Amino acid sequence: MTSEDRTNPNREGIELPAPTSAPFVCAFGVTLIFAGIVTNWAVSIVGFVLGIVGAIRWWHEVLPDNRKECLPIDGRRPTIEVSPGGVAHLMTAESPHRARIPLEIHPYGAGVKGGIAGGIAMAIVAGVWGWVDQSSIWYPVNILGATVLPDFAHENATQLAQWHTAAFVLGLVIHACMSLMIGLLYGVILPMIPRFRLGFAAVAVPLIWTGLAWASLDIINPLLNQQINWWWFIGSQVAFGLACWFVVSRSERIGTMQNWSMLERTGMESPGIREMGGDG
Amino acid sequence: MTTLDHPGNPTRIKPTFLGRMHEWIATADHKKLGVMYVTTGLIFFLIGGLEATMMRWQLAVPGSTLLSPSDFNRLFTMHGTTMVFLVGMPILLGVANYFVPLQIGARDLAFPRLNAFGFWLFFFGGLLLYFSYFGAQGLYGMGSAPDVGWFAYAPLTERTYSRGHSTDYWILGLLVSSFGSIATGINLITTILTMRCRGMTLMKMPLLVWLMLIDAVLIMIAMPPLAAAQVMLLFDRLLGAHFFDVQGGGSAILWQNLFWFFGHPEVYILILPAFAYVSEIIPVFCRKVIFGYPLMVAATVSIGFISLGVWVHHLFALGLSPMVNTIFMGSTMLIAIPTGIKMFNWVGTMVGGKIRFDTPMLFSTGFLALFLIGGLTGIMLSVVPFDWQVSDSYFVVGHFHYVLFGGLVFSIFAAIYYWFPKVTGRMMNEALGKWQFWLLFLGFNLTFGPMHVSGMLGMPRRIYTYHADRGWDLWNLLSSIGVLVQIAGVAFFVWNVIHSLRKGREAGADPWDAWTLEWSTASPPPDYNFEEIPEVYSRRPLWDIKHPDDPDWKYE
Repeated sequence: MTSEDRTNPNREGIELPAPTSAPFVCAFGVTLIFAGIVTNWAVSIVGFVLGIVGAIRWWHEVLPDNRKECLPIDGRRPTIEVSPGGVAHLMTAESPHRARIPLEIHPYGAGVKGGIAGGIAMAIVAGVWGWVDQSSIWYPVNILGATVLPDFAHENATQLAQWHTAAFVLGLVIHACMSLMIGLLYGVILPMIPRFRLGFAAVAVPLIWTGLAWASLDIINPLLNQQINWWWFIGSQVAFGLACWFVVSRSERIGTMQNWSMLERTGMESPGIREMGGDG
Repeated sequence: MTTLDHPGNPTRIKPTFLGRMHEWIATADHKKLGVMYVTTGLIFFLIGGLEATMMRWQLAVPGSTLLSPSDFNRLFTMHGTTMVFLVGMPILLGVANYFVPLQIGARDLAFPRLNAFGFWLFFFGGLLLYFSYFGAQGLYGMGSAPDVGWFAYAPLTERTYSRGHSTDYWILGLLVSSFGSIATGINLITTILTMRCRGMTLMKMPLLVWLMLIDAVLIMIAMPPLAAAQVMLLFDRLLGAHFFDVQGGGSAILWQNLFWFFGHPEVYILILPAFAYVSEIIPVFCRKVIFGYPLMVAATVSIGFISLGVWVHHLFALGLSPMVNTIFMGSTMLIAIPTGIKMFNWVGTMVGGKIRFDTPMLFSTGFLALFLIGGLTGIMLSVVPFDWQVSDSYFVVGHFHYVLFGGLVFSIFAAIYYWFPKVTGRMMNEALGKWQFWLLFLGFNLTFGPMHVSGMLGMPRRIYTYHADRGWDLWNLLSSIGVLVQIAGVAFFVWNVIHSLRKGREAGADPWDAWTLEWSTASPPPDYNFEEIPEVYSRRPLWDIKHPDDPDWKYE
């Protein structure tokens, strides 16, 4: 492509690189050089000679001038038919049934507090199970630690009922992180649930989470799976859901900007624009 | 200043057969080279398919003696090597060769002669590899074709375990071929960055061009380590070096790292063009603009970047430290995010569209379904404990065939049906295309679906036979029957190509009412592509011309 092509519509033809067998000869030569390694050195010699011949021809193709051929214009120039109109636009904003965007949400802090409350409630239920089942509140702590400490998976119930510093630290970190993250998720998701938020928080999610944990732990670590009482597990999850729902749902709601106009979002003050922060 | 060969009289004499041969051998035209790449790739596809058929025939029933163990080893080695290096690579480079210049409004690639050199290196590299069937045995009496698997693990490739020259042919054939791929990669990058027509900023490039740009960058990064490893292996075998010879102080794990540093990006080198084809086809057949173009570009760049940092998941079974395993498990899972973005955007493009299920769209939809399955089993395999359970089993074979056959090959067929009218000027037969799709879709799932089950039941890959008491019989029989159905599908494709070339309906310049620049020129395009270099204002230049009342540039 040259600038002339663009500017001179009356040219006789269009220049393109001229055909040449140099790349073919050169590539064949290179291949023979390598083929000679596994056949005979004479093959490599022939390849080397061919490679040199090809390279010299190639050299002459581009130096001193880039050899080109001028191709005639063949006259086949398709016309593109104009078809104005008939363009439909998707009206995404007018399809509220496809997206439920909350006009009011809980602050993220509510999710964090809910996670902490849920985590405490869950730990109490798990501790009660440990005490009732193995006479040790450290039993569930050690089981949680065992998810990342492979050595613990082979310990028996008596050993798991004892104090282990590493399992306690890891179990605490895992429990705190998971509780905070799920609390945050509750804080974000709950306002988007149209009805039965308590059922979602305290029944549906605990059952789904328990099912996921039960199914995956049975594959990932079947030994550990045997140490867990899944009914108590459900109980602890329900306790988490109840506590988290309680804290989150009692928090003050704040309006979102989802239904504000662009002027309101950018903070413009003008006659006719409602007061800042309104979402009605 | 240029030297010109003027044709003089434009009405040329019809060339003879030899003249035509010379025309193709001496061509530097990106379109002819593109056709040669794709045609060679399809021929190797038939050869690789034949090898797979022979393996499935052997495994159809337990205790079969149709093939010897050594023949079976050669077949799976040549099948894997052929499909990756001699089918996937040339077809993706061929399509890029043909359509990247057309889509960016250029008359050729930046270095036309280097382009021809790249093709011929690939072609002769492939021939050298297959010459091993004759050369390795005929000249030295040891072995035949390579039998070390397509990833050729050390120390089995050392001279002690692999006598004769079969492994040397594998090294040299791929070495020559990979030089060609690197040359074409350089060419594509330079072309895309420097030869776009006026108005085509980076964010106005068609997605095919974007994806091929990232693909070419990956080729440039991933291929040299493989070439280096192969040269080191050649030194081990021929000059007595000890790079991978454990007893001589070398490291077999070094080979695994070097190979998979190439090998995993290679999977993305192969699959990014598949993404490119469906990204072009789905919008046209849904009559909608692609959903989330900027995110598609960002996801492509992310995939290219992350794909360079996941190779160790192929090495989980080595027993590396938990820290290393955890890091690469995380990075492998991470790549699901940009890939998932792409999946959602393709589906988002389909939602609310006026979908036409012509054959290209059928194959694209098939791609979405099958690649999704392959992607999900890939995430399963990224979990270290699960990987340990099924490593080197048929589960892995099923997984990567869903990715590379269900993903790449289905998208290649979609691309062929989509662009065949542009390349030849004739439409492919729709009825034959639909027969091909459904037979291939059914046969594919029948072949590779049961492999997940046989793998979970413990069947290792690469065994040449098995006992009847393992519970694998039914699943293997189903897989082998599936191959027969696939053969019928491929036969419909071959028939369709031959029939359409001779009697296909005339296509015209723009049979699909599409929007990118290649459809603005004649079918097949003239040698110079465009009489005048176009100027674009949006990502869909033809849409702007067809709909002057509602052009895209108003919204971009």
